[in-house]
Amino acid sequence: MQMQRILVALFLFLAIPLALADKPSSDENKSESHEEGHSASTHSEDNEHAEHAEGLSANAPVIFKLGPLQITNSMFVTMIVALGIIIVAQLATRKVQLIPAGLQNFVEYLVEGLYGFFESIVGPQMVKQTFWFFGTIFIFILFSNWFGLIPGMGTMGWGMDEHGHFAQPLMRGVNADLNMTLAMAALFMVLWLFWSIKAIGAGGFLGHIFNVKGHGSGFFGIFLVIVFIFVGLIEVVSIGVRPVALTFRLYGNVFAGENILETVMKLGGPYFGWLAVLPFYLLEILVGLVQALVFALLTSVFTALMCEQHDDDHSEEHAH
Amino acid sequence: MFAVITGSLHVGLAALGSAVGVGLVGMKAAEATGRNPGAAGEIRTQAIIFAALAEGIVFIAIFLAK
Repeated sequence: MQMQRILVALFLFLAIPLALADKPSSDENKSESHEEGHSASTHSEDNEHAEHAEGLSANAPVIFKLGPLQITNSMFVTMIVALGIIIVAQLATRKVQLIPAGLQNFVEYLVEGLYGFFESIVGPQMVKQTFWFFGTIFIFILFSNWFGLIPGMGTMGWGMDEHGHFAQPLMRGVNADLNMTLAMAALFMVLWLFWSIKAIGAGGFLGHIFNVKGHGSGFFGIFLVIVFIFVGLIEVVSIGVRPVALTFRLYGNVFAGENILETVMKLGGPYFGWLAVLPFYLLEILVGLVQALVFALLTSVFTALMCEQHDDDHSEEHAH
Repeated sequence: MFAVITGSLHVGLAALGSAVGVGLVGMKAAEATGRNPGAAGEIRTQAIIFAALAEGIVFIAIFLAK
């Protein structure tokens, strides 16, 4: 009974803008019918113009310059998010107590949960020296994705054109900038190389990729060695693709998310835009979490793949 | 620029393939969780990894194969 009332109330609430929306749309129809006499070229020009104005620009515009350093709007948001995380971490650890309460309790719960999660992937040995990276990358991507969804992020700025878009929006989602995701992926690959060589040595590293030992002697053994050298070459290509895939996966998801929100907002028209975009907002909150998880998970799995041999050796040594 | 890329066939094919791939991963992950609910956490981790790997193809197609 109550459900029905809520539905009726919702329907009436939605019907109000529908009645209001009737008038401007009929005006538009009239004006369109008046303009039908125009040549086709102006129409195509209009379409082109609309396409250019639609959506987020692929690169982040520069908002101000500090000497030779150009600060783009996504760098600006990066600093805000980083500052927020630092402030929360400082507040949480200002008075560290043995029995945590309040903010310290919450932050410890999050960090310990993350630590246990990464420990289950990379093992108890590696997690001690790699958790700082995976934990930071997860927390930073998660909060920068969610920060980018706050209404007003892309709609504040200056230099408005006739379509109502700002030429220079003040803020932009951090991971909607290819530079940021590429920087994180590149940093990970350098660290990955460092950790791998530290864990299993340069010889072990090459031996892991080109798995040439232990195939026996004779003709079949030599044949297998040749096969595994080619398998190693394929492995090198697969490792080379990893940073590219990491970069474009995160950038593509966040960038596409921003564009989906804007497109759906326009589909809803001037009165229903907020309603049409609502499910996509929830979807983007989920995507922000999943992409942070995916980036941290993939980087940790890549590390574990290369370093797990080392952990096995250690456990065997302990067993002896 | 974007209109030209989205109008291309290879992106559509890559999207089709990775959609099927992600769907298969999700289907099998749900089946596996139903068969062994105790391993739900590990299955979720693996499902996310492989869904991400399948999904990565379409981004490579969009941005690299112009």
